[in-house]
Amino acid sequence: MANGDSISIEVQEAKAAAKLEKVPMLAHQKPEKKGWKKGIAITDFVLRLGAIAAALGAATTMGTSDETLPFFTQFFQFEASYDDLPALTFFVIAMAIVGGYLVLSLPFSVVTIVRPHAVGPRLLLLLLDTVALTLTTSCGASAAAIVYLAHNGNPSANWMAVCQQFGDFCQGVSGAVVSSFVAVVIFLCLIVLSACALRRT
Amino acid sequence: MKSVQVEASEVSKGSSSSQSLSRGLSVIDFILRTLASFGTLASAIAMGTTRQTLPFVTRFVRFKAVYKDLPTLTFFVIANSVVCGYLVISLPLSFFHVVKCKVTKSRIILIIFDTVMMALLTAGASSAAAIVNLAHNGNTNANWFAICRQFNSFCQRISGSLIGSFVAVVVFILLIIISAVVISRR
Repeated sequence: MANGDSISIEVQEAKAAAKLEKVPMLAHQKPEKKGWKKGIAITDFVLRLGAIAAALGAATTMGTSDETLPFFTQFFQFEASYDDLPALTFFVIAMAIVGGYLVLSLPFSVVTIVRPHAVGPRLLLLLLDTVALTLTTSCGASAAAIVYLAHNGNPSANWMAVCQQFGDFCQGVSGAVVSSFVAVVIFLCLIVLSACALRRT
Repeated sequence: MKSVQVEASEVSKGSSSSQSLSRGLSVIDFILRTLASFGTLASAIAMGTTRQTLPFVTRFVRFKAVYKDLPTLTFFVIANSVVCGYLVISLPLSFFHVVKCKVTKSRIILIIFDTVMMALLTAGASSAAAIVNLAHNGNTNANWFAICRQFNSFCQRISGSLIGSFVAVVVFILLIIISAVVISRR
């Protein structure tokens, strides 16, 4: 019986020694995991800068694309601007709002770089990025529908293709729509990165 | 030994309350997914079954309106059908998350697909809304005539089918947020 007691005590001491050996291993692993989340936060910040360029570029291109044809008659208008079509007006306003939101979200992104394990700022950024993605996709798609109609027209509804007369206006407007879809893709990447970084490892 | 046992029971109580919250959020996720699938299916069917023929006819002008005449509305029907199919396929995965709350990798896959499908649905819904607005009001600057003045029931149908699609967009936003909160709570 005494032998059995001494054996059990030795087993417990061996287990305690094994636990002490494990602790330095855990301390080594933590800086690597911190580096992974910090890398995601830095990528997030860089992508945000790219999205600012895309969104503000789209808004200014659409806003400054107006064209006046050099001839005129009594009845027809020969001037094309973004405020002639309400979908394009919505595009300019919404892209300006999204660009402003992205500029204001840069400090939150910096906070996630400095503190990679904080959950609050990341969750807030993900929520607001989702709303901004919806707004950007909505204005880009409605402007794309109107621009497609301006390029091709529609014989069933007797809608004439406006682009055959207003070439420069159509080019500027189409470029702005493409830029807004670039911003949509960047927002998709931002949301996925935030979701991956929210995992508790 | 006794103090170790008490600590173990306290830890398990805290994790069970957070687990019940995660389970509740997963159930809400499942319910919202079924709601969104019904909304997109209704929109696709309502837009896809539009057809109106006016009772008079001349040699030069068409008096028949179908959704296929406007390519944007065709895109709307296709986008809604694709999103409805995706939601039906993702229902078993959502049910699996209700049963087993601790998985994060499949939840991240679900968030990725949810975000992409939300972008597709929003694009379809808003481009159709722009065309419907044009059909209702026309545009004098571009000489585009408002076709709703002649095709009344066609216009009513295409306007009403947008509602289900936009409700599904809002539901998708909630789904993404719920998934993110559940991932962050692990």
